[in-house]
Amino acid sequence: MSVSRRSVTLFACLLTLGVLLGLFAPRPLRAAEEYNFAGSAQLDYHYVASGPRNQDVPGPSSTFQGFTMEAGLKVAVDISDHLSANVKACYGCHGFDIDMAYFDYRARDEFNLRVGRFSPSFGAFNLRHDPANHMLSDKPLPYDMGRMLRKGDWNNGVLPSPFPSSGVEIGGSHWAGTTLQFDYALYAVTGFKNYNDPHPTDLNFQETHLPYFVGSAVRPATGARLAFTARGSATVDATLGASGMLGSYDLKSELTYVIVGADFALRVQRTAFRFEYLLRRQQFDTQNPDIFKYAIAERGGDFFTKQGAFAEVEQPLSSLFDVTARVDGMLRRGNVSNLAIGSGADAATSLSPLAYRSYVIRETLGLECALERNFRLKGSAEFWQFSYPDSLGQKTALSMHVGAVGSF
Amino acid sequence: MSKQPARIALAFALLVSACAGSHVDEPESPLPSDERADYAIFALRCSKCHSLARPLDSGIDDDEYWRRYVERMRRQPASGISLADTVPILRFLRAYSRAQRKRKQAQMEPPADDASAPNARTPRVPGSR
Repeated sequence: MSVSRRSVTLFACLLTLGVLLGLFAPRPLRAAEEYNFAGSAQLDYHYVASGPRNQDVPGPSSTFQGFTMEAGLKVAVDISDHLSANVKACYGCHGFDIDMAYFDYRARDEFNLRVGRFSPSFGAFNLRHDPANHMLSDKPLPYDMGRMLRKGDWNNGVLPSPFPSSGVEIGGSHWAGTTLQFDYALYAVTGFKNYNDPHPTDLNFQETHLPYFVGSAVRPATGARLAFTARGSATVDATLGASGMLGSYDLKSELTYVIVGADFALRVQRTAFRFEYLLRRQQFDTQNPDIFKYAIAERGGDFFTKQGAFAEVEQPLSSLFDVTARVDGMLRRGNVSNLAIGSGADAATSLSPLAYRSYVIRETLGLECALERNFRLKGSAEFWQFSYPDSLGQKTALSMHVGAVGSF
Repeated sequence: MSKQPARIALAFALLVSACAGSHVDEPESPLPSDERADYAIFALRCSKCHSLARPLDSGIDDDEYWRRYVERMRRQPASGISLADTVPILRFLRAYSRAQRKRKQAQMEPPADDASAPNARTPRVPGSR
C-alpha cells in the first residue's frame, strides 16, 4: 500500500486531536438515540427535440433521452449531543451506491470530525444535490453526472455530484455575533480513480461508484473549503466560498488532478441567486501518443483544463409555483484522447469530436409545481450551444424535461 | 417564421402573471399571530437548503429530538442559522408537533356526533414546500 507517510501522520494527528477534544468536551448524562428516516425519488423524462444522437443507446458520444430514475433513502441517527451518524443509499443511472455512511463527532461548533464515506466539502451545490432539494430536473453542468447532451464527449461535468469517497474530514462553523458565519473544512479522502485504462487520460467516475470502494494504491486526495456567510438583515444573506482539492488517480499515483472552485449565493426573502465556478486541471499519461487527437506539445502537453460555471435565479411565484432560470456552461482546453474513458483499450478506433478548445453553453427555464407538500412536478426547457458540430452539422439542440419528485 | 415559440412565451407569461398576485409567505389560513413570526423565520432559514416538507413531515414529535435535529441543521456549512434563530424555529416546530399529536389523538378517538367535538386539526402551514 503506497499511502504516503505524511498522510498517515496527518490522519493520526487529526484523530488524536479529535479524541482529546472529545475527552474535555462536556458530556450528556444519557445517550438517547433518535432515528430519522428521509427519502426522495425523482422520475424524469428527457426529450431531445433535435440532434442525431438522440436515438443512440447510452454510451460514448450518446445523448441520453428517455426516463431516468433517481432515488435515495437516508437514515440520520443522533446518538448523543456530540455524536451522530448518517447512512444514505441512492439509486441512479450508475446503479446502487452508498452516498453517505459516516459518523460526525462534534466536540464543539468549531470542531467536527467526520469519518466514513461522504462527499467532501466542495462548492455549494453538493449540499442540495438530492433532486428533492433543487428545482430543476438536472444538475448544473459543472456538477453533471451523465444527464448532459454529448456526455460521452465530455466525460460528464467538472466534478460530478455527489462525489462520495472514503476518508476523514475536519470542519466547523463559527459565528461572529449574529451576522457573520465562518465555515471551514479540511479533508483527506480516497479520491477519484482510473485503474481500468493502461494509459489513463481522465478520471473514470464510474469506478467511484463501483461496489469495490477500496483505493488500493493511490495516495489520499486532500482538500479544503472556506466560506463566509453574512446576514445583511433578517431576510437577506450572502455566502462567499472557495474550495480546492488535489489528488492522483492512477495506480502509480503519478497523474494528478487539481480542482478549484468559487461560489457566491445571495438570498433576499425566498428569492435565491447562485453562482459557481469550477476549474479542473487534469494530468494525463502521454506514453502512448497514438491515442491522442493532436501531437503532444513539449511544454504543457500532459494536461487539459476543464472549466465550468453556472448562474441561476430561483423565484417562488405562489404557494404552488416556483420558476428557475439558469445559464451554465463548460470550456475544455487541451489535447483530446480518442479512447472512451474506462474502456481499457489501448488503440483508438475513431476520432473524438472535441477540439483542442471546446465549449458548451446551456440556457434553462424551468417551472416547478407543488401538487402536495411532498410531491412536485418539474418541467424545463433547455437550449444547448456547442462549439463543434455533430454528425449532421448541428451546433445547437433543444431539449425538455418533465418529471415528478416526491420526498418524505 | 413559426409562431409556436411566441405562443409558448405568451402562455408562460400569462401563467406567471396569474401566479404573481400571491406570495409564498402569505398564510393561506391564519396561524396564530405568535406562531406566524416563528414560522416566518423557520420558513426563511430552513428553505435555504431543502423543502420545508422535510422537517414538517419528518414525523418527529419529541421536543428533545427537535432540539438535536435543529442543532444538526444549524451546524451545516453556510446554514445561516444562528443560535438566536433556533429559539423561534424550535418554538414553531414544537407548536406544530403539539398540533400534530392532537390531530392523531383525535383520529384515534371514535367520531363524535355533537357539534362540540374538539377541533384538533393541524393548522395549515403556508408555503410549506
